[in-house]
Amino acid sequence: MRVYSVSIFILLVFFIASSCFRSASSAPKDPFLGISPQDENYYKSSSDSIKCKDGSKKFSKSQLNDDFCDCPDGTDEPGTSACPTAKFYCKNAGHVPQFIFSSRVNDGICDCCDGSDEYDGQVKCPNTCWEAGKVARDRLIKKITTYKEGVIVRNQEIEKAKIAIAKDGAELTKLKNEEKILKGLVQQLKEASSEDKPIESTDDDTVGNIDDSSLDEQDLKVTNDDDHPAAEDEKHKTSKTEGSPLDIVEEHESENKHAASAKHEDDSAVATEIDHDAGNKVSPDEVKKVESDASETTEGLSKEELGRLVASRWTGEKNENQGSAHDNADESHEELPKDTDDEQYDGYASESDEDSGKYDDSGKYNDDDIDDELEENYEEESHDDTTSYKSDTDDEPYLSDTTSQNNPSWLEKIQQTVKNILKAVNIFQAPVNISEAARVRKEYDESSAKLSKIQSRISSLTKRLEHDFGPEKEFYSFCDRCFEIKQNKYVYKVCPYKQASQEEGHTTTRLGRWDKFEDSYRTMVFSNGDKCWNGPDRSMKVKLRCGLKNEITDVDEPSRCEYVALLSTPALCLEDKLKELQDKLDSMNKEQPQGHDEL
Amino acid sequence: MKMRPFTVSLIFLLFLASQTVHSWKKDEFRNCNQTPFCKRARSRKPGSCNLIAHDVSISDGDLTAKLIPKAPQDQDQDQIKPLTLSLSVYQDGIVRLKIDEDPSLDPPKKRFQVPDVVMPEFEAKKLWLQKASTEKLDGDGGSLSSVVYLSDGYEAVLRHDPFEVYVREKAGKGRVLSLNSHGLFDFEQLRAKKEGEDWEERFRGHTDTRPYGPQSISFDVSFYGSDFVYGIPEHAASFALKPTRGPGFEESEPYRLFNLDVFEYLHDSPFGIYGSIPFMVAHGKSGKSSGFFWLNAAEMQIDVLGNGWDAEDGILMPTGQNRIDTFWMSEAGIVDTFFFVGPGPKDVVRQYTGVTGLPSMPQLFATAYHQCRWNYRDEEDVENVDSKFDEHDIPYDVLWLDIEHTDGKRYFTWDKLLFPHPEEMQKKLAAKGRHMVTIVDPHIKRDEAFHLHKDATERGYYVKDASGKDYDGWCWPGSSSYIDMLGPEIRSWWGDKFSYENYVGSTPSLYIWNDMNEPSVFNGPEVTMPRDALHLGGVEHRELHNAYGYYFHMATSDGLLKRGDGKDRPFVLSRAFFAGSQRYGAVWTGDNTAEWEHLRVSVPMILTLGLTGMTFSGADVGGFFGNPEPELLVRWYQLGAYYPFFRGHAHHDTKRREPWLFGERNTELMRDAIRTRYTLLPYFYTLFREANVSGVPVVRPLWMEFPFDEATFSNDEAFMVGNSLLVQGIYTERAKHASVYLPGKESWYDLRTGTAYKGGKIHKLEVSEESIPAFQRAGTIVPRKDRFRRSSTQMAHDPYTLVIALNSSQAAEGELYLDDGKSFDFKNGAYIHRRFVFSKGQLTSSNAASSSLGKNSFPSDCIIERIILLGYTPGPKSALVEPGNKNAEIELGPLRLGGRGAAALTIRKPGVRVTEDWTIKFL
Repeated sequence: MRVYSVSIFILLVFFIASSCFRSASSAPKDPFLGISPQDENYYKSSSDSIKCKDGSKKFSKSQLNDDFCDCPDGTDEPGTSACPTAKFYCKNAGHVPQFIFSSRVNDGICDCCDGSDEYDGQVKCPNTCWEAGKVARDRLIKKITTYKEGVIVRNQEIEKAKIAIAKDGAELTKLKNEEKILKGLVQQLKEASSEDKPIESTDDDTVGNIDDSSLDEQDLKVTNDDDHPAAEDEKHKTSKTEGSPLDIVEEHESENKHAASAKHEDDSAVATEIDHDAGNKVSPDEVKKVESDASETTEGLSKEELGRLVASRWTGEKNENQGSAHDNADESHEELPKDTDDEQYDGYASESDEDSGKYDDSGKYNDDDIDDELEENYEEESHDDTTSYKSDTDDEPYLSDTTSQNNPSWLEKIQQTVKNILKAVNIFQAPVNISEAARVRKEYDESSAKLSKIQSRISSLTKRLEHDFGPEKEFYSFCDRCFEIKQNKYVYKVCPYKQASQEEGHTTTRLGRWDKFEDSYRTMVFSNGDKCWNGPDRSMKVKLRCGLKNEITDVDEPSRCEYVALLSTPALCLEDKLKELQDKLDSMNKEQPQGHDEL
Repeated sequence: MKMRPFTVSLIFLLFLASQTVHSWKKDEFRNCNQTPFCKRARSRKPGSCNLIAHDVSISDGDLTAKLIPKAPQDQDQDQIKPLTLSLSVYQDGIVRLKIDEDPSLDPPKKRFQVPDVVMPEFEAKKLWLQKASTEKLDGDGGSLSSVVYLSDGYEAVLRHDPFEVYVREKAGKGRVLSLNSHGLFDFEQLRAKKEGEDWEERFRGHTDTRPYGPQSISFDVSFYGSDFVYGIPEHAASFALKPTRGPGFEESEPYRLFNLDVFEYLHDSPFGIYGSIPFMVAHGKSGKSSGFFWLNAAEMQIDVLGNGWDAEDGILMPTGQNRIDTFWMSEAGIVDTFFFVGPGPKDVVRQYTGVTGLPSMPQLFATAYHQCRWNYRDEEDVENVDSKFDEHDIPYDVLWLDIEHTDGKRYFTWDKLLFPHPEEMQKKLAAKGRHMVTIVDPHIKRDEAFHLHKDATERGYYVKDASGKDYDGWCWPGSSSYIDMLGPEIRSWWGDKFSYENYVGSTPSLYIWNDMNEPSVFNGPEVTMPRDALHLGGVEHRELHNAYGYYFHMATSDGLLKRGDGKDRPFVLSRAFFAGSQRYGAVWTGDNTAEWEHLRVSVPMILTLGLTGMTFSGADVGGFFGNPEPELLVRWYQLGAYYPFFRGHAHHDTKRREPWLFGERNTELMRDAIRTRYTLLPYFYTLFREANVSGVPVVRPLWMEFPFDEATFSNDEAFMVGNSLLVQGIYTERAKHASVYLPGKESWYDLRTGTAYKGGKIHKLEVSEESIPAFQRAGTIVPRKDRFRRSSTQMAHDPYTLVIALNSSQAAEGELYLDDGKSFDFKNGAYIHRRFVFSKGQLTSSNAASSSLGKNSFPSDCIIERIILLGYTPGPKSALVEPGNKNAEIELGPLRLGGRGAAALTIRKPGVRVTEDWTIKFL
């Protein structure tokens, strides 16, 4: 028989191919295999020729799923492996439908739970959709339950946060007012007593030290300068009072963020700069040290010391011959004679196989995997609130006594007193009455102490309010809290807006200072931690997941000195997501009876 | 060191420079001046050898002679005894010259001859000499020479006075190779220690007792008709070997062959690193190549002498031929040398692999992509990385576990916390057709509770120190001892450790990585074993040092062979190697660095390995030390996709660098690079088979395919993959252009665009981030598989694409080899070998399988789904397929699927099977 028509010829070839060969390259019996319901019209309605979706060309109906790639985008081969860019749709009745890569079609591995991806006879794939679907639905229901509760907790948190922030704001405004007045008074008092030598402070304590009532003139000036534009909170990060070096570093971090590998050039960031060098394996100093160790002193080493020294080049572990300047927790147990490597890695062992998503750097988390696992963790409910506590390094509202009185009269009283004193002083100008002088001094001391208290409070409030609490301020409650988890011998401690650390006994290693939120508030970034010998500066990313409690569920170190933690929190229980999950469940339930019947 | 302006900022650049300078601990390694034998040898003057050949005769089919001093010398010569010389001749143009002390004269010790390197079947190729003719050369002082016929118009000549050995073309057409033409030959005979003599050598606190005193050997070798010499790996240096001394050349260290674990090796240095193959190839304008191999496993130093180095020594050398002189020095052993006459480059590698063995045929999976890191930390990590490849639709075949997977660096064990279920883990990978590789090093933890240590101690299987106790060195596990791999019995014992019963937690999908087998000893001299350590039979470590890793590789590979009942092809990656390692698996270029210059030097390093038989080689993609910028990483993947051995690997201090961690675009680029390798797997596998049959390497220098094209001789930026593809890396940051020399008279087709470029000239090409320059040579046919799978395993049934690049006479040819990819059944004929020829408008597939190999056949259901024609001028409308007399459609189709591929003439679904004979006629 001679066949002239091309298309008939092709069909013939298929016939031969599918009947004679057990070939992976055979076309499916169903010409519409691998097409999703939404797409069916696209393929079925066109009369004779179908357009590639990218518009690049057309193909005939006989070329649909003929196991030869015609469209660059794979439009013509939804049901075969012929086009690398194509996706295969499995119906998966009883479970959720799924698109799989064309590379999975007829590869001898069952990918779709309905087995539709394997039709060339290499393997027989049982339909497991019903069982799998049930498990998935159950998990989804559990997850929805968590989300439902979580959303409520979250909303409460948001309300609380709003009130607290408003309160903070009000307090700040008030304090600033008071500060202004008080500052004027202090200035007046100071002037009044300027001839009065004994008023000169004999103490060098800083403004931040609230228990000290004396004031250094210089400190006062600094404070004044800084607070000059105290009118509005547009100004950010004043470098006064406690923890100022930290602030400086933080500022530089944010400035240099975009400069990726560039050096920090500011003199003030010396510490950061040194750290940065370490990011490129070894700082020059260290190199020199190793070098001199190697080239000068190896002869004096014992065989074992030499072995350890040379090994340390590869492992980056500190050798006992070297100085201890850049110690860290990982390396500090070098005194153990053997098996240091084992020890080191024990710390990273995760005993259970929870949270498969922790290496996910792409930011697109796979909710099924992770959230489900998290839920399983909640069920255990073994954790309690001890993982979360008030940070001890926190700036407490020290002035609660003054502010909580919420009573302007104390200020008025002071004002009045000062007025009186000043009047008195002015009247008896020349020979200062001793008792008047003492009164002036006492008032001055008290007022400036008060002022410094207020300023300290202003600073801490300002700092707090500058924090990024998220679009709905849902992270406000993180502000003064820390979360910890114990893994083997290490305790990991995450203090949002402050720092993350790893503790082993009395050794604390800083894993990072607060940097920012990332990935639409799904990740907290702590960067520029203690530097790693022969490695980058330590850093930690804390991935946030919806959960009913604020708790860390896992910590890991996927790359050396780059830590990843998982923190479950109601703050991530988003209503939109809940709705999405519910829709998903609804659609799964819709599929259910059908799928069941088929089975 | 040279600095190149490729870093982002000046500060970074300076830092990098200082770091590189500091990282390589130059002082810890001996240079020639600190190496007494090298210093002595290098100070010798040409013509100082006074040995003459005496008692020349034919005996046992060899030409034999005694070498004695010409005139008894007054001073210090009392212990010069005659040396024995024997010259043997083999089929295929090979001469073997051995010179040793005369055993009948009771030397203090038998000098070491490297066993188990020369193939047993090589001896069968020996041509038994019946007679030697004697000739007296004019103008040669009337010196006599003995001449024996070699083969194919070549003769081997032994000149008597002064003694010299050379190979020449018959009828006085010129020389090929010669030894001792410059009279630098020296053989330090073993002798008794004289009173007050100090034989000890000290270096950086280590003392080498040298109980046998000086025993070095040195001689000069000349290559005629040559412009360049190549080979003698392993060095991170240019492919064409630069002169190490001579007028107009900066005097450098000689090329050192001494297997060492060099921390952060430099990218341009003659210092020895992990492996040694004392085999050199010369090539010249005449288009001819020749080769010289010295089977000697002691430390070797080789000078390449620059033109004119001998201007003042008054020795008359034949003129009219370009010549390269070289000077070879070794600390111990004997002269056991092989001369290979060529004349083509491929002839030389065939001859060399005829002596040391052909590269083994790898399993298909081993030729695909490998993913490694020090370390994938636990089972969860493994599962995660594995699933990420799937999530990003990137194929890979093998996941590797470095030292941290073990229980305290006790090999053959698993860390119970991190890898509690090794079998399950491997089975999960195997279910996706993937394999796993674990590391097994030769140092054994000295732990009484470790059965392997106990067993080895009791059996006395460890290398001994100079005092005879088990040598105790320091390596990963701390205090360690080293298995003495010299003994076949010990190797067999070691091999048994790989059985499934002994290696608990191993499964059939697990293969092995041998690292640190130089051997690396952290507290040893030059980070290796003391030279006076003792091996089986009192052999000193100095005598076999360079072969230690080879024996270890051999033992491991034989172990895997035993494990699979001889049915499963072993896969063992080794870092150290020696001549013959090609029989046992793959090697890689060790701990390189994430720098552009290291990317660049990987090409000459791999070319050199291929040229010296070790074709299955690659460099760590991305660079082992340091963090590559994404651009460097992408370029490395693009180049690495063409390495014979393609593996990504990284140090544990580096950031994670799996291909999906650098943003969507970079993921795409790396996926594309890896997929390029997978589409070309049928071609690569065919090339591995070619290497397995002929010794011709998978990745070859341009001049191996274009031996007359001088412009290719020192080109080591580009390379050929087989005879059909030319590839050139991009070795600089943000490159916009690349100058690519395309050799020959025929055109070259860009692999991505199909654009034709004229051969025989340098093209300045625009470069995009998408690919590195790669071309198909006109006149070739390349088989591909254009479907991507999780791993090569699932590609077994996928259809083929043939890409035909027609030459100026509208012709092309190519081959396809396939088998089960696993077993040794191919040795009994269970394979398919097709030859595709296109000529006169017709493509023919015919059987190219040798009929002599067994009667087994290999079934395949694979069809050819697509035939792409590049450079076909008539513009055919349709094609007629025979048998069957069927029409196949011709259309414009993409040259590459899934991208913005250029269009090319395509035969759509010719429906022919790969197992059958057929022709397709273009109408």
